[in-house]
Amino acid sequence: MHLDPFELHEPATVEEALELAGTLSGKFDYLAGGTDLLPNYKMHINLRPHLISLERVSELRGVSSNRIGAMTRLAEVEESPDLSRAYPGVAEAVREVATPLVRASGTVGGNLLLETRCFFFNQTYPWRQSLGFCLKADGDRCHVVPQKERCYATFSGDLAPALAALEAEVEVAGPSGRRRMPVEHLYNAAGDGILRLSLVPGEIVVAIHFPESARRARSAYTKLRVRPSFDFPELGVAAAVWGAAEAPEKVRLAIGGLETYPRRFDEDTDALAGAPLTDARVRTVAEAVTRRVRPVHNTFLPPDYRRRMTEVFVRRTLSRVRAPNGSVAA
Amino acid sequence: MASRPLRTRVNGTALERTVPDERILLDLLREDLRLTGTKRGCDLGTCGCCTVLLDGRPTLSCLTLARSAEGREVTTIEGVTPAEGLHPVQRAFVERGATQCGFCTPGFILTSVALLRDHPHPSREEVARAISGNLCRCTGYTKIIEAVLAVGGGK
Repeated sequence: MHLDPFELHEPATVEEALELAGTLSGKFDYLAGGTDLLPNYKMHINLRPHLISLERVSELRGVSSNRIGAMTRLAEVEESPDLSRAYPGVAEAVREVATPLVRASGTVGGNLLLETRCFFFNQTYPWRQSLGFCLKADGDRCHVVPQKERCYATFSGDLAPALAALEAEVEVAGPSGRRRMPVEHLYNAAGDGILRLSLVPGEIVVAIHFPESARRARSAYTKLRVRPSFDFPELGVAAAVWGAAEAPEKVRLAIGGLETYPRRFDEDTDALAGAPLTDARVRTVAEAVTRRVRPVHNTFLPPDYRRRMTEVFVRRTLSRVRAPNGSVAA
Repeated sequence: MASRPLRTRVNGTALERTVPDERILLDLLREDLRLTGTKRGCDLGTCGCCTVLLDGRPTLSCLTLARSAEGREVTTIEGVTPAEGLHPVQRAFVERGATQCGFCTPGFILTSVALLRDHPHPSREEVARAISGNLCRCTGYTKIIEAVLAVGGGK
């Protein structure tokens, strides 16, 4: 598979990149690690004539204990002992992304902005043409939920739930300046598989910032997939718990791989604060969360199975982090 | 169609040539330089057959723009193979029967060479983890893991 010609731009600063983005408005994609974008380009999915590579923008690099630059390779995060110690849930999520080879190129920002995925979208041009193009690329209908309005492509990043559970923030730079927001606000809960982000055109993810409190949390990430390597999450559950198991200050749960955006479940987990995280209380939350999620049939495993596994994985993940040693008196 | 000059090093030799912006490193190696030891498998980053070392790190050349090699060192299977005989990892693959059709072998060798450079005595689990981005459809991995462990002095 060869790439169609495009013009590559290699800005050295965020400001240069934004200026290019303004000039090339609507005719470009940002290129980070390329492990998601270039396969799609090879399959002739949503091509643009210009690519703005962020590889040479040094401000987007680097890992410290409270910041990860957006262009940091996933392998670099994996190799950072400080970060792994401080945020075990993030370390677990990073280690589960694709393969070591993909993580050598793939970036933190790229994983957050991963294109949503679907059986009927991640296919070659002739494959898609033979069935009839879909809403998300070249067409006007959805093959998953037959209608012509909404795209159901699934958000399949592993990092977003892990970061959202720890209440991490994302810093973005755009034409009208810089702003920070909670990681989960990067995604458009009112959108769909196409209108999946809250970013305005041209905005760049600069870095992830961890609040001081994230270091005090116990965190974990559990991923459902068919093969223990390469596969995208069919379900990814991240949990974080602050405080003693007998009376946690706060519990956060975030889930990816099921819907068009990674989602947090504060309305369910807020009830867990202040009382022992017993099996019964964990189960109640797991059941409540499972009732809310709405996977569709556009990934490898059937949606009913993924929904039932949501309950199991929420229980498992919360059980792993509810106490320093994983157990709590009933 | 945009192109620009690329200055890089391939297997220890300086290379300067004009490449189109959309040129993929794999095509630069195979089509332009005729270094056909690097294989095109899935071409989508799934199989690891196109693995090369970029500044020493195993990298998917099918998902890397040639431009990304600017000012860096690319090592392919041709660069690992000595003028005569075999690299110790290659020899171990032969002796342990870790190669059958051989298509995935260059990728496995490069991944293993980098692993053994950083961790000269890896455990079985470390080997399995390191090669988890390289697909082999013939051997079932047992012989490959044994070969890498043998180089590292393990069993």
